[in-house]
Amino acid sequence: MASLTLENVDLTFRVRRNRRTPLKDVVVQRLTGRGGQNPLMEVHSLRNISAHFEDGARIGIVGHNGAGKSTLLKMLAGVYPPSAGVRTVEGRISGLFDLTLGFEPHGTGRDNIRYRGYLLGETPQSLKPKMESIVDFAEIGDFIDTPVRYYSSGMLVRLGFSIATAIDPEILLMDECFSAGDRAFQRKAADRLNEMMKKARLIVMVSHDIGLLQRLSDRVLWLDHGRIRRDGPAKDVIAEYVDFMNSPASGGAGAAVGKAA
Amino acid sequence: MLSYSANVWRFRYFWGSLVRMDIRTRYRGSWLGAGWSLLHPLAMSAAMCLVFHKLFGMSVEDYLPRLIAGMVFWQFLSTCAIAGCNCLTNGEAYLRQVPAPMAIYPLRTTLAAAFHLGIAFAVVLVGNAMINGVKDPASVLALFPMLPLLLLFGWSLAVLAGFAHAYFPDMHHLIEIGMQMLFYATPIIYTPEILRDRGMGWLLDINPLASLVEVVRLPLLGRGMPDPASYLTAGGLILITTSLAVLTLNRLERKVIFQL
Repeated sequence: MASLTLENVDLTFRVRRNRRTPLKDVVVQRLTGRGGQNPLMEVHSLRNISAHFEDGARIGIVGHNGAGKSTLLKMLAGVYPPSAGVRTVEGRISGLFDLTLGFEPHGTGRDNIRYRGYLLGETPQSLKPKMESIVDFAEIGDFIDTPVRYYSSGMLVRLGFSIATAIDPEILLMDECFSAGDRAFQRKAADRLNEMMKKARLIVMVSHDIGLLQRLSDRVLWLDHGRIRRDGPAKDVIAEYVDFMNSPASGGAGAAVGKAA
Repeated sequence: MLSYSANVWRFRYFWGSLVRMDIRTRYRGSWLGAGWSLLHPLAMSAAMCLVFHKLFGMSVEDYLPRLIAGMVFWQFLSTCAIAGCNCLTNGEAYLRQVPAPMAIYPLRTTLAAAFHLGIAFAVVLVGNAMINGVKDPASVLALFPMLPLLLLFGWSLAVLAGFAHAYFPDMHHLIEIGMQMLFYATPIIYTPEILRDRGMGWLLDINPLASLVEVVRLPLLGRGMPDPASYLTAGGLILITTSLAVLTLNRLERKVIFQL
C-alpha cells in the first residue's frame, strides 16, 4: 500500500532579497533601529493544496513556470516541510530531481554510486548485485574509477540517471528527468523509465512535455500560482490547459505548448 | 529521540561511506598522509616547547608530551567547530533531495576529525610512555570512557556551528576568532600552575574547557586521576552543549533548508 495525502497544505518561503544577512548587519540594525537594505519577503509558493494519491495512480503536474510544480514535488518528497496543513505518506519515496547535483567531486564514479545508492536507502548487500548494471547503463567506461570532477556534464547526467533509476521505489517523484543525455541515451532512458514506472506503485511527475504527460499519466493536476486550478482525468485537464495557454488571456505564451501536444 | 537515533542509524551506510572518503582524501591513501597532518601539531609544539624551555625553564620531557596532548585535543575541537560551519552547506545537494536527519551532516565532520584524534592520541600515548614511562598505569584506563563523550562534545559543536553558519554567513569568522581566544584561555600551551602563581586562577575556574582538557590529558599521559570536580565541570559542559545541539535540531531541522 502506497499513498500520499495532502490536506490544506500551504508553503511559505521567507526569503531575504540578498540571500542571507550577516549577523553583523542584524546587530547594526538592532542598534541603529533602521530596517536595513535586506528586507524579509514572504513568498507564498503553495496555497491550500489538498489531494490524495493512491496505489496505481500515475499523476502528472502541469502549470506555467513558477506555478509551484517542483516545489510541490519536493514537498511531497518531504524536503520542504509544509508551513500549514498536513502531509501523510505511506511507502518508500524516491525523488528524481537535480540528477547531476550531489556528487562528491573527489570520489570516483563507483564511489558516488555507493553514496547516492545508500542515500536512497540501499545497503551494501542490495547494491552489490546492481553495481555492474549501473556502471554499464551509464556508458562511462573506464572513467568509472576516475574522480567525478573530471567527468563531462553529459557523463554526470548519465551517471546520475543510472543510479537514480536502479532502485525499486514504491513512490516515484520525477521532475523533468526525461531528457538525460544524447538521443541514443534518451531512447534507452525512456525504456528504463517505462520499466521503472511499471514497478512503482505510485508516480507523480512534472514535465513541460505535454505529449509525454498525456501518454504516461491518468490524472493531471494543473497548478496556477501555487493553487490547484484543475484536478481530473489527464485528457480533460491537458486539453483545458492547452486551450488556456493558446488563448489571449495567457498572453500567448502557449504557442510552444500547443505544438508539443 | 529514540526514533530519531534509529533514523540516523538507518542512514549509516551513507554517512559511513562519506566519512571513509573524507579520511581517505585527507590521508591520500597513505600513512605518510597521516604523518603530514600530525606534523602540524608536532611542529607547533616543538617550536613552543623550545621557547618555553628557554623563557621559563620548563623541562622538555615533562612539558612537551603535555603540550602535544593539548594541541591534538584542541585540533579536534576546533576542527569540529570550524569545519562544522560548512557541514550543512556541504550537504546541501543531499538534503535538497532526501529528507534524511540533519544530524548526519555534523556527524560526518566529527567522525572524520575523531579518526584523526584517535591516531594522534595513540601516538602521544606511546611516545609519552617511551620518554617518561607511565607513572600511574591505572589512570590510563580513565581515558577510554572520555572518548565517546569527546565525540558527543565535538558533534554538538559541529551541529551548533553548522546551524549558526546556515543562518548567519559571517559566523565562520566569529567562530574562528572565538576558538582562537578560547585556545589562549585554556591551559594548553601553559600549565595551570603558571596561571595560579600569577593570581589568574579565576580564568581556569570560569573556563569549563580547562577542566575538559585536564580530564582527557592526565589519563592520556598516565599522570594520575583527575579530580572529581573537573569531571563534574567537564560533564556539565558536555551536557549543556549536547542539550543545545538537540534543541537546535529539534527546532530548526525542518526549517534550515529555507536558509541554504
